[in-house]
Order: sequence, then C-alpha cells, then structure tokens
Amino acid sequence: MTGEVFAAIDVGSYEMAMKIFELDHKNGVKELDHVRHRMDLGTETYATGTISSSHVDEMIRILSEFRLKMKEYGATHYKAYGTSAIRETKDIVILQELIRQRTHLQIDVLSNSEQRFLDYKSIALKNEQFREVIKKPTAIIDIGGGSIQISLFEKDALIATQNLKTGVLRLYAIMQTVHATRRKYSELISELVNTQLAVFSKMYLKDRRVENLIIIDDYVSPILRRIKTEDGLVGYASNKEYSRFLENATDINARQVAKRLDIPEESIPLLYVSSILIKCIMDITNAENLWAPGVTLCDGIAYEYAEKKNFIKSPHDFEHDIISCAQNISKRYMGSKSRRETLQKIAVEIFDNTRKIHGLSRRERLLLQVATMLHDCGKYISMVNLGDCSYNIIMSTEIIGLSHKERTIVANVVRYNHEEFDHFGSKSPYLEGFSQDEYLIVAKLTAILRVANGLDRTHKQKFKDVKVTVKDKQLIINIDTRADITLEKGLFTNRAAFFEEVFGIKPVIKQKKMM
Amino acid sequence: MAKNKATIDFENPKLYINRELSWLQFNSRVLSEAEDKSNPLFERLKFLSISASNLDEFFMVRVASLKDMINAGYKKPDIAGMTAGEQLEKVLDAVHKFVDKQYEIYNGQLVPLLLEQGLEVSGGEDLTDRDLEYVDRYFDEYVYPVLTPMAVDSSRPFPLIRNKSLNIAALLKKKEDSDEIDFATVQVPDVLPRILEIPARDEGEGLRKVILLEKIILRNMHKLFLNYDVLTCSAYRVGRNADLSIDEDEAEDLLKEIEKQIKRRQWGQAIRLEVEKGIDEKLLKKIASELEVEDNEIYSIEGPIDLTFLMKMYKLEGFDDLKEHSYYPPQSVPEFEGGENIFDVISKGDILMHHPYQTFENVVKFVETAAVDPDVLAIKQTLYRVSGNSPIIAALAKAADNGKQVTVLVELKARFDEENNIVWARMLEKAGCHVIYGLVGLKTHCKITLVVRREEDGIKRYVHLGTGNYNDSTAKQYTDVGLFTCAPAFGEDATAVFNMLSGYSEPLGWNKLAIAPLWLKDRIIDLIKREEEHARMGERARIVAKMNAICHKDVIAELYRASSAGVKIDLIVRGICCLRAGVEGVSENITVRSIVGNFLEHSRIFYFENGGSPELYASSADWMPRNLERRVEILFPVEDASLREKLWHILDVELKDTEKAHIMNDKGEYEKISGKLSKDAERVNSQMVFGDEAVEAVLKRDPGSSRVFIPEMNPKA
Repeated sequence: MTGEVFAAIDVGSYEMAMKIFELDHKNGVKELDHVRHRMDLGTETYATGTISSSHVDEMIRILSEFRLKMKEYGATHYKAYGTSAIRETKDIVILQELIRQRTHLQIDVLSNSEQRFLDYKSIALKNEQFREVIKKPTAIIDIGGGSIQISLFEKDALIATQNLKTGVLRLYAIMQTVHATRRKYSELISELVNTQLAVFSKMYLKDRRVENLIIIDDYVSPILRRIKTEDGLVGYASNKEYSRFLENATDINARQVAKRLDIPEESIPLLYVSSILIKCIMDITNAENLWAPGVTLCDGIAYEYAEKKNFIKSPHDFEHDIISCAQNISKRYMGSKSRRETLQKIAVEIFDNTRKIHGLSRRERLLLQVATMLHDCGKYISMVNLGDCSYNIIMSTEIIGLSHKERTIVANVVRYNHEEFDHFGSKSPYLEGFSQDEYLIVAKLTAILRVANGLDRTHKQKFKDVKVTVKDKQLIINIDTRADITLEKGLFTNRAAFFEEVFGIKPVIKQKKMM
Repeated sequence: MAKNKATIDFENPKLYINRELSWLQFNSRVLSEAEDKSNPLFERLKFLSISASNLDEFFMVRVASLKDMINAGYKKPDIAGMTAGEQLEKVLDAVHKFVDKQYEIYNGQLVPLLLEQGLEVSGGEDLTDRDLEYVDRYFDEYVYPVLTPMAVDSSRPFPLIRNKSLNIAALLKKKEDSDEIDFATVQVPDVLPRILEIPARDEGEGLRKVILLEKIILRNMHKLFLNYDVLTCSAYRVGRNADLSIDEDEAEDLLKEIEKQIKRRQWGQAIRLEVEKGIDEKLLKKIASELEVEDNEIYSIEGPIDLTFLMKMYKLEGFDDLKEHSYYPPQSVPEFEGGENIFDVISKGDILMHHPYQTFENVVKFVETAAVDPDVLAIKQTLYRVSGNSPIIAALAKAADNGKQVTVLVELKARFDEENNIVWARMLEKAGCHVIYGLVGLKTHCKITLVVRREEDGIKRYVHLGTGNYNDSTAKQYTDVGLFTCAPAFGEDATAVFNMLSGYSEPLGWNKLAIAPLWLKDRIIDLIKREEEHARMGERARIVAKMNAICHKDVIAELYRASSAGVKIDLIVRGICCLRAGVEGVSENITVRSIVGNFLEHSRIFYFENGGSPELYASSADWMPRNLERRVEILFPVEDASLREKLWHILDVELKDTEKAHIMNDKGEYEKISGKLSKDAERVNSQMVFGDEAVEAVLKRDPGSSRVFIPEMNPKA
C-alpha cells in the first residue's frame, strides 16, 4: 500500500466522532469508517467550565475504543481536536494530560476560527460542486452547538466571516428555559435569531447579494442528503423545496416526524431548531439555493492533514481566503487599498529575500501579509494611540483560518510597528504566554514590517518598485523612483536599527539615479 | 371483487390462524414424515423422536406462556382473536389428538415393522428366563446403585419431580401392617442409557431385543422397598413451566403485566402429566393432586412415555440399511477449489453457497485464513449458537493471539444455550478478543462476518452474510444460504452494523442492508407495497418468500392487501404460518407450502418481481414480531446476475417439490402433495435435487478427473 491510513477525531460539544481515512496520491482522501458517540459535554462546560468525572471517564472509554478502531485499519497517524466544550473547560491542560496518559491520544484544542476554517476546508473536499456553487455569491452557514458562523463568498474568495452565539444547543436550551411548546418554536427562534441577523445584515449584506447557502450542520444536512433533486443532485434544495422540507420536518408529532424522516426521535428537537435557524438565514439573505455537502469537522481535519502530507493538492487557495478576509477587515476600518498593497509588496519582497537569514516558513509569511493588511486599522479609533488601538481591534476580530496564537502574533507585530518593542522576559502583558520561538517570530516579523513601513513613511507609495538583496551584511533596498525620498531616507535609520538588532544586517536604501 | 374491496378489513382476526395451533400443525407435518412409508424405517423413528422433543419444548415455552397469561389475567386477544384461555383449551385438545397419533404410529406401524426387521422392543413380559436374568443382573449391578427411592408420608413431603424427567410411582403397603398404604416415587436415572440391548444367545440368532430402562426398574421395584409390598407401580413424567424468562415472542405489554405480578407467577408449575395407560386410579389421583394438574393436562400414554429415546435407537449399530443414504454429504464449493487464497477468490466475484448441499467449511476457512493472514487487520463476527468445540471460536482466539483486532458479539440470550455461550465468550475474552455480550433488550440474531485487510491498493473489506448460525455442526442439517462479497457497499454497511453493535450511533445511511429492529419491517412492507402498486398499474407482480415462520400481523395484512390487488404470492413456510391462504377476496392469490424433509429448511429467501426487474434477498429474519421488532437482523440483496439465478432456482425447485411439500388448503389445513399426484406424474424432491446439483457442479469444475493428457507446448513458438 502506497498511502496512509489516518484517523480524525472530533471531541465535540454534543458528540464524539471519529472518521478513518485512507490517503493516497492516486485516490486522494477516501473515507473508510465513521463512528459517532453521543455525549453532551456542552451543556455542562458552557455552564460550569468543567467536565464532570463521569464524563471524563466516558470520554476516555470512547477514546480507547477509537484507538482500537484505529488498529482495525492499521491507522498510523491521527489528529484529535476538541472544540467549544473542551475549549471552555478551565482545567484543559490537566484534562489533556489525563487523556494522554490513559489513551495515548493527544487532544489539541481548536479555536473557533480554526475550527470554522477546517469545516470550511472540508467542503473543498467536494471540490467540483464547491467550485460550481461559489461562482455565485455564496454564504457558508456553519451551525454548531454553541454558535454559528456565517462566512460570505464573493468572486471565489472568502470576504467576511462572523460568529453569532446562536448555536442549536444554545437555542434549544433557551427554548427549554422559557418552557416553549413545539408550536411556539418557530416564532420564538425567529425572534431570537433575527435581531442578531439584522445586525449582521446591516454590517455585511448592505450592498451584497447572496444566492447560494452552503449548510454545515448535524441535523438538517443528513436528511437533505437523502433527498435527490430532479437532476439527481444530492443535498441540494431550492428555497421552495426547503420550505416544503421544513413543513415536513416540523410536524408537532415528533414520533411521526422521526418515522417519516427515518431518524432517531431524540434528534427531533435539535433538527427542529436547526431547520428553523436555516430558514431565518435563508429569509434574511434572500438566498435561492441551498447546498448541504454533508461534511463534518473530521473531513476538514483529514483534508488539512492530506494537504500537508501532499496526498492532495488544494485546487482552492485557502491562504488567499485568509488574506482576503484581512483585506475586508482593513476595509471596514477605512484602510487604504493602495497603501496596504504597497506595504504588502515591500514586506513580502524583504521577507522572500531574507529567507536564509530569518529562516521562517510560509505560514509566517502569511502572518506578515495579514499584519501589513491590518497595520494601521487602529486609526479608525484614534490617530494617537495607533498601536494599542490596532492591537485591540485585531484581538477582538476573528480572522478565519488563524489560530488564537497566530492572531496574537499578528496583533503584536502590528502594535510593535508603532510602539517600542518589549524584550523577552520584560514581563510585558502583551507577550504573556509566548514561547521563545513565538517571541522570535514576533521580533522578526516586526523588524521586517518596520522597515517596510519606514519605506512608505509618507504614505504616498513612492516605492512602487523595490528590489531587495543581501550583500556584505547589508540589506540593500534598491528603489526605482523619480520621487523625492529625502524624508524616507532621513527617518529610515530609526526604523532600520531594530532590523539590524534582530538580524545583524543593516538595511540601506539605494535609489536608482534617473538619467 | 372490486366492489367489496373497501369493506374488507384485512386485520379481521378471522383471517388469521392462531400461532400455537399453526405450530402444532407444523409438528404434525414432522410426524407425517414418521408415517411416510417412503422414508427408511429408522428415519421414521427419528422423525417421531423429533416430533416428541419439539412438543416438549413447545410445552416448556409456549404452553407455559399461555399459562402465564391466564395467571396474570391478560385479556388481550391474539392475532386470531382468541384469549389465552381459549387458546389453551384448543391447544390442549389438539395436543391430546397429536399424542394419540404419535402412539398410533409407534404401536401400529413402527414397532411391528421393527420386529419384521429383527428388532424387538420388549416390555419384559415376553423375555426368556435367560434374558430376564441378564436384565435383572443389569439392574442389580448398574441401576440399583443410582436409584433414590423416595417415600411420601406425613413427615416426608412430596418431592420435587424434575421437569421432563421420567419417574416411577408406586403404592406400597407395609408387610406387617395391614391397612396403611404409602406412596413412593423414584426417578428413572438419566445417567444410564434409556435402552438396553439384551445380548443374543448365540451368534446366529436373528432377533435383536432391546428393553427400556423403566421396564427394568418396574419389574424390580420390590427390591427397592424390602419391607413393603408393592401394590401397583407405573411410570409418569411431568412437564413444567420452565424456569425461563418470558418468551420474547410475547407482546411487550404482557411482559410489563407479568413483571408487575411477578409474585403471582408460579415458577415451575406442572402443566403436563404423562402417565401409562392403565395406571391404577388411586395412584394417578395421588400424583395428579400432588402436582396440581387438571384433567385435560393428563395424558394417558399407550406405550413408552417420552419418545425422544428413539433418537438413541436410531443410533443402534447394525441397521445401516434402514437409514437414509440417498442424500449426498456436503459437497465442496467449486469456486474455492483452485487452491487460491480465499480472499483472492472472493475478489473475483461474489460467491453464494447453499448449505448443507455445499459445505460450510469455507466459512470456517474464511475465519481461519483471516486469523493467520499477515495482511488482515481485523475480524468481526456475530455468534448466536456455536457448536461444541467450534473451529470458528478457535480461529478467532488465534487471530487475537496473532495481533488482529477481533470483535465478537456473543449472544447470551440464545434460548437454552446461555451457559454454553458464556463459556465461549470467556475463552475469547481471555485470548484477547473484544467480546460484546449481546445488547440490552435485543437479541442479536443476524449472521455476519467482516474481515478488514490491507492490500496493495488500500484497505479492503470482506464480508460473509448468512441465513444460518455460524455453527459447523448444524450447518450439516439446516438448509441455509451464505454470501461472500468484497463489494465496497457491503463492506461499508457491515462496518456500520458492527459500529452499531458496539454502541455507536446509527450511521447516516445504508447502502444495501436493511437492519432490524429499526428499518427491516418497514423495508419488507415497502417491498410488498411496491408489488401491490405494480399490480394496480396492471403490471406483473409477484412475491415468492421462503422462511421458517410468518406471524407478524402488519406484514400479513400487507400481503392480503397485495393479494387482493392481484399480486401473485407464493410462500414457502416451514413452521408457523398465521396467514390463511385462498380466502376469497383476501388471499386467493396466495399459496402457502411447507417443506419438511431430511434437512431442516432454515434459509430465508425473498423474491420480488418489481415490475420486471426482479429483486432477490436473503435474510436472517423470519416475518415474526420477535425478528422484526426485538432482534438485530439483516436483510441483504443478492445482486450478481448468476447468483440471483441460483437463488431463484432454489425457490423455483421448492415450489415444484411434490415429495416433501405440504400445501395449505382454504381451511387452513396442510395436505401433502405427493398423495394427490397421479402415478406417472413427475415427482420432485427439492432437497434431493439440490444435492444432485451440488455434486454435478463439482464434477463440472473439476478438471482433475479428466483422463486426457495435456502436452506442454514449445514456449518459443
């Protein structure tokens, strides 16, 4: 066998799931097995922040069974992720260690934006349909237990994404708190959801159209996927068809619905909540079509792994999505398009030509790009406290695809672009929780960003064509411009000093003389 | 017919046959084989014995169940609208007639025929002094030491008489005391053989004699009670409400009812008393009152009580020519004869086996090969009833030892087999298998094996699905079909089945299989409905279904509906059938036949015409409430064209069977077809046909039998 057998484990808030995949170069990603075990962790941790010992025992038992199942297929690699329930646990490190000891499985914790990004990547497994769907303006609705994520697509690229705390479990809990009867669900849920959706709509949907919705959820999707449309497509429904389905699924008599749809009766309430939620989103976006690709987080985990190991080549540029998201955040805070483009260009030029010196990877290059996009977003609030304001904006804005740590790195790079650098061990609150390696990344990226930013001091984009070379302990920045750069040159020394401190190379500006 | 269609109530109890009475009809069919002169004499003994042991189980489980209902005051009528009391009355009535018939056959036909063949079943009276001396010596040396006579008087209460044990009761009078009469009872020991052959005087003597153990004890009774005179003594046997949990066939509300009234349930209550005809009145009265049996529960037996001893008689040496030899032993399966790896063979295409005409060995070999194959990663199997010393168990243990992931579901609740199964389960667990001890509230009755193997082009799954248990010894007696496949759709479903059995949530969907208790019943009803729709559209519509029993009301009502819409339905049901055939406006398009022959018909095969693109299925499930609602069962399609042909052929030949088939008439009674045929009509014994075909298949595929030399060619030419 040329490929590899891989296990993807999702410790979710309502269910533990594992999928076993076969990965190889010829066939890509092939699912072999899918097991699910229902366990309601969410209700507990959302309320108390801890996981009871009986649940821990159950979790360990199931994970041990997962391990056996991995052996059944000779799985050599795995990736196990905990999502919101684990994320909201206070004693997370202790829990991880306990699980590691008992089951020899390492559970990593996904931030919301990472999790959503994986969900989103999982859709790309259904590449052909995905590409077809996102040709038109599309929104991805990722419905989880605690929250939902709405991501907007335009012209093939992700442009905005927003998390709303209206997950199915949360809504259902509210329904139970107010003792709503099934009959009232539709009305109450719409009321709850629409207030939040209205804000979202005002922020993002003003001048946009959404034609297609891509639905990721655990309740409606499996059923939609059983219904074939007239063209033999699986998982598609038009607005009208969905309304018909909704009528079918929201009968008062849960037993009849369960029988009609062939699902366990216990899933009926959540199916109900989920389907009403989708209906609300459909109404507010005026979407015409709906597609349920039927993917799960496990698919995304496998996709990411397979991509990393080069079993598959991604036809869709996910990095581009991250950048385009950052662009849109910048846009929201009145960033100038030409400025961010110039700055990005210069920063990337420096990064690419100093590869041997900084030794950073492609991922850090991406972080640098995001940092250039957002480098002065704080001016939206205050021109004076630019560093801190930018930092705060970035820390409270979700950037899909970035982990929490990565976002902190970006925020710090942006902040130190404006503020004085805090050295490791200085006990700066901004660097709290950073390892030495992570600190170094911040330092290196900051050094590059400062130089790049220094070249564009006057914000007039005088440095359109910049060539960077390293020669004799100097970073030579060749500039082809007719503009007067006296100011840049004069103020440059200050910014260049940090670069020299970090890399031991002095940046020097050389202007090509015009004939 | 069309005009009154709307008014027909297909659920009218009148359209249904009570299941107990239907079962008794089945046992009568078994008994009819004992009467059938075309069967060799010793086979007829065997059938009589089977009918007797069937009846014992029937009492322990079903009659006991009716008693429970009466005791619990359960009033709900059965499928045929009868209360438990009404059922019991009719059942006992029928059983009395049945028992009379058994002994009519035994005394009137079999005993004289045995004598003709030189075997005498002696009552003791006609033996020579020399024979008697031998018998009495046997008593003194072997029987006497293991007897425990028990007297009953004011200080010693009536002892517990064990279920199904044969006993001798006696009235005694003290020798010196003149008028006090005592009662005593002694169990006929089950550690000694029931029949004793008396050695012939000299080699040349033609007649062989056997005597029954109780007769030996009866004539020596006085030796047990030396200070007494034995006034009278006689053999008797008690059948009890077995100390088992409620039969799973019963409705859930009954179970709840009985649970509530658990104290009122009389465990081990005597429900049947068999006594020898001519037993002393006083003695009978004493036994009957002690055991608290009613008059209609007493069976007066003319001949030896408990005919199951005939199975021992069947095994007497030297009567080989009086036994069945016209059926071939299990044949090899040609596909597997090339000596190739079993997985390679399955990879070439699905394989359907028909047991016992074809050997079960390959299924054993499948597990055995998997156990040692270095590429096999995991084996999963359900075990319901396994044979003693099962090679499958050994292979599974070995697999675990070899580091394979082995998951075995051992069904502990298999009727009367619990203890046996626990032993195997423990053994497997010790060997390192992951053992699942059944599911709460459900019996796992499906027969499925999954082997996961790592191959050149990835993980591959091999599946065996069957209609019969993974039991290599019953596989020689039961007719079953089994399918080997490595089609991915089946592999995925098999994985999902085991995931469910391991306690994971149900899969999001199924490719091919339908699983009870969640989906199977609806699937069957849908399949029947589809035929009904085709019939209404004027298309050809037909159902042929073979199974062991059918008594699910919803399914039967659906068949009635289909029949009245014009669907042609042929049922081949060995045992219980609560459906009435040939009722005008309801089931005139339905035929019911039952095949009771040399092998026990056990396969479940279903054919649906489906408007010209027929579908064929096999299953582990009968169409009974317990199978469809309280068990884990599998229905699987057979899709390969030639295998469908094979499956259809099985149904087709059985529909043509004239020799062992009984047909239900419009009164709900069964008639044997062979009796009604003209002399020169074609006669078909389906079991014989299948045996012949299995032999032919081997010959056709076996090039080794060719006597033509094959010259080697010049490789360069």
